[in-house]
Amino acid sequence: MKKIKIKLDGKTISVEENKTILEICKDKGLTIPTLCKQPSLRSEARCRICLVEMDKKLVTSCSTYPSEGSSIVTQTDRVKNARKRNVELIMAHHVGSCTINEDEKNELCSLAKEVGLKTTRFKKVRTYKPTLGSSVIRDDNKCINCGRCVDTCSKIQEVYAIDFAGRGYNEHVSSYFEKNLGETSCIKCGQCIINCPVGAIREKEHLDYVIEELKKKKKHLVVEVAPSIRVSLGDEFGYPVGTNVEGKLVSALRKCGFDKVFDVDLGADMTIMEEASEFLHRLKNGGPFPMITTCCPAWILMMESFYHDLFKNMSSCMSPHEMLGMLTKTYYAKKAGLKKSEIVVVSVMPCTAKKYESTREELHSGVDYVLTTREAAKLIKHFNIDFKKLEDEKFDNPLGVSSGAGTIFGITGGVMEAALRTAYEFGTNEKLKDLEFKSIRGIDGIKTGSVMINDVEIKYAAAHGGANIRKLLKNYKDYHFIEIMACPGGCVGGGGQPIPTTLEIAKIRGQSLYKDDNKDKLRKSHENPVVKKIYKEYLDAPLSPKAHKILHTFYKRRSKF
Amino acid sequence: MQITKKTKLKGLKKTREIGPLGVVETLRKKKVTGRGGAGFLVAKKWKSVMDTKSDVKYLICNGDEGEPGTFKDKFIIMNNSETLIEGIIIAAETIGAKTVYFYLRGEYVNLRKFLENKIKKVLQKSNSNIEIIVVMGAGAYICGEETAIIKSIEGYRGQPSYKPPFPWQEGLWEKPTVVNNVETFVHVAQALCFKDYNPNLKLYSVSGSVKKPGIYEELSGEKLSKIISKAKPINKPKAIYFGCFGGCKPYKEMKLIPKTICGDDCVHGAASLIVADNKTSAIDMAYIISKFFTHESCGKCTPCREGNIQILLLLKKLRKGEATKKDFELLKELSLHIQETSLCGLGQTSTKHLLNAMKHFKKEFTDLLVKEKGE
Repeated sequence: MKKIKIKLDGKTISVEENKTILEICKDKGLTIPTLCKQPSLRSEARCRICLVEMDKKLVTSCSTYPSEGSSIVTQTDRVKNARKRNVELIMAHHVGSCTINEDEKNELCSLAKEVGLKTTRFKKVRTYKPTLGSSVIRDDNKCINCGRCVDTCSKIQEVYAIDFAGRGYNEHVSSYFEKNLGETSCIKCGQCIINCPVGAIREKEHLDYVIEELKKKKKHLVVEVAPSIRVSLGDEFGYPVGTNVEGKLVSALRKCGFDKVFDVDLGADMTIMEEASEFLHRLKNGGPFPMITTCCPAWILMMESFYHDLFKNMSSCMSPHEMLGMLTKTYYAKKAGLKKSEIVVVSVMPCTAKKYESTREELHSGVDYVLTTREAAKLIKHFNIDFKKLEDEKFDNPLGVSSGAGTIFGITGGVMEAALRTAYEFGTNEKLKDLEFKSIRGIDGIKTGSVMINDVEIKYAAAHGGANIRKLLKNYKDYHFIEIMACPGGCVGGGGQPIPTTLEIAKIRGQSLYKDDNKDKLRKSHENPVVKKIYKEYLDAPLSPKAHKILHTFYKRRSKF
Repeated sequence: MQITKKTKLKGLKKTREIGPLGVVETLRKKKVTGRGGAGFLVAKKWKSVMDTKSDVKYLICNGDEGEPGTFKDKFIIMNNSETLIEGIIIAAETIGAKTVYFYLRGEYVNLRKFLENKIKKVLQKSNSNIEIIVVMGAGAYICGEETAIIKSIEGYRGQPSYKPPFPWQEGLWEKPTVVNNVETFVHVAQALCFKDYNPNLKLYSVSGSVKKPGIYEELSGEKLSKIISKAKPINKPKAIYFGCFGGCKPYKEMKLIPKTICGDDCVHGAASLIVADNKTSAIDMAYIISKFFTHESCGKCTPCREGNIQILLLLKKLRKGEATKKDFELLKELSLHIQETSLCGLGQTSTKHLLNAMKHFKKEFTDLLVKEKGE
């Protein structure tokens, strides 16, 4: 790349020609405040906060490429005042809708502090009704039109459920025909939530209902925890990214007042038993291929809206937490001598789409409430539990023993790897030599590989993030087995995870999950003694009529609009 | 008038004789400039697209004249569409575009049929295999901006984006694209055709407080009083507004030269001259123009979206006689801020009129302010 010489704050430096001022400053260790810029995307230069002075003109650093001899100043009074003014203008609309307890994560509030603003001289000029949905709720009164949600929805997820509508000061984010998000083709992945700087988009909270149940104590309360929560919840309590807080998580939930704390990793093991068996069944009967995983409810919605020809390819397995929810209300209820109606199941998920999933008519769900990772942290804080001082505790029996295969469900490629471990051994009756399928690991958008099962070369692939999914599905017929996760990075990068969550952070959390799997003595789902016991005592065998009734589901055609 | 002189496909014939490079050379020699406002050399713009490697290239004819007080494109379409279409074909064949989009202002919907018929006829006569598609705007002022026009044709919201990439690098559907104004194409055809072609002749749209509003063709650099007297002012003119975005200036003798039209604080732009007489209040004008920009701001960037509505609120306050000295200062500060930090030309020029008015007619503003104690 061609190099050019520029002057940055008085110093002459040599930089690459294709870099924006913002990137150059970052390389040089200079921080410039930004708001609308998203790391992996081309900036739209909407917010006008990242201003600097180039050759006596004010320019946005995120979108300006300097040329030979340009002189750039980043901290003059003129620059500072201009930034301040724009923050002030943005605040005019936001202030008054902002609630105090959300302030800590509010990028606009910290920006205001940074530029030295306490209040705005301008009036609020518009009000909106919040739009509701079964998982995702938007409040335009807080929205500052930065466009990060719109960019995420259209460029990263390629769902196009939201865009800007109206013009001038009436411009606002909207779904088509101003519909509620629940009535659109929104896949409820929640990626817009973790990218919103001001909390204008959030999940539909189940927190209050759960606190109510915990206070009433009338029913038998069961909580189940998804694989990725153990490596992400720590973020909310000040641990370094990717710290595994499984033990403390279990004891915190117990302290909140739950009667039993179960592990969704076990549900994942059950999913693998069913899914691997289903795959081998298809292999014996000649298809249809590819078989596509169904653990991700956002992907299911995407398929139901956009990929109607893939219905036959979808596995019929429920997602792990739904399987565990069903088992809790049937198998466990029987063992504990409880009626189905006496049990309340709460899932802690990294996901907003799971909230919608638990209301799906297609799968008489066993889960009553779904909390996101963020809500779980709020719950623990609500009960004034000092998380860091807790002793490590273990999951409850009987649904608390899991394998490493279940743990890695939390990251992209994990479901595929876990399924292959079991499918290989079921199919060949041989021991798998190398348990780790390296080809399916990592955070590349699309990963592919192949393995021999009884002289058949099984081609598999995994994709995560809407844009990558669309790319992979263009050639879906090339594969036998496909794993799809709607969120970038898989569940560790899910829409219900602590803010901030980026692909980089997701990667670190994923590595932590792989470490956990590596430590585990049990690394294959079919060797899990509890799984064996459940089949022996209750379900007979994978794909048995009883298993079908409890653990499988079906899908519904939806329109794009 | 030069602009209505018909070229009768002679320009196209010449184009085919001398080839693309010949055309560019001729246009360069004859100093044909773009008529959209920036005054960019046509030859330079075309050459950069010709030099960009791509299998597909596009040409856009910008007929979205939304500037208040401008109606020259309409005049051309109605009076000399044959030459206009010939100019378009010349441009397309020169830069190698197979498809041309004619972006017609939404309000000119009644011209569509007429224009489409003319296009069909001229294309038949010219033996050209290019395709000219008329696309209707939906009434947004911002779609006259070249990046917004591209977004609008692609089917997205008509919002501007920053450059680079410039349209000649990545324009319509990410292909190299030339965007030229309606008037420019007529000039192109005429420059190739007539020996006595004069690039300095310009169309002025005169309106406001005059008895004979209309299109006047004058030499660039002509005296203002000459044009205005032709249009017969009703009362004594007080100020002249260069469209909405060009700013305003007290009425006095001046030469209409694009770059230095009236010192450094006005823009010549699309040559729209709106006459305000001595019965018009500068504040009413400021209010009306601010209302226009508040309505026409696309909403993309902060200063233009949030700033213009705040300016309108402040002007409202001022008109009611409730504004204080502090408000007046804020009005000034905000106007300057919007000018300095907006994304596109619309935002950057949206407060020019106000800054000018506050400078030249300051007394009208300060007279309305709330009197403070001791004053």
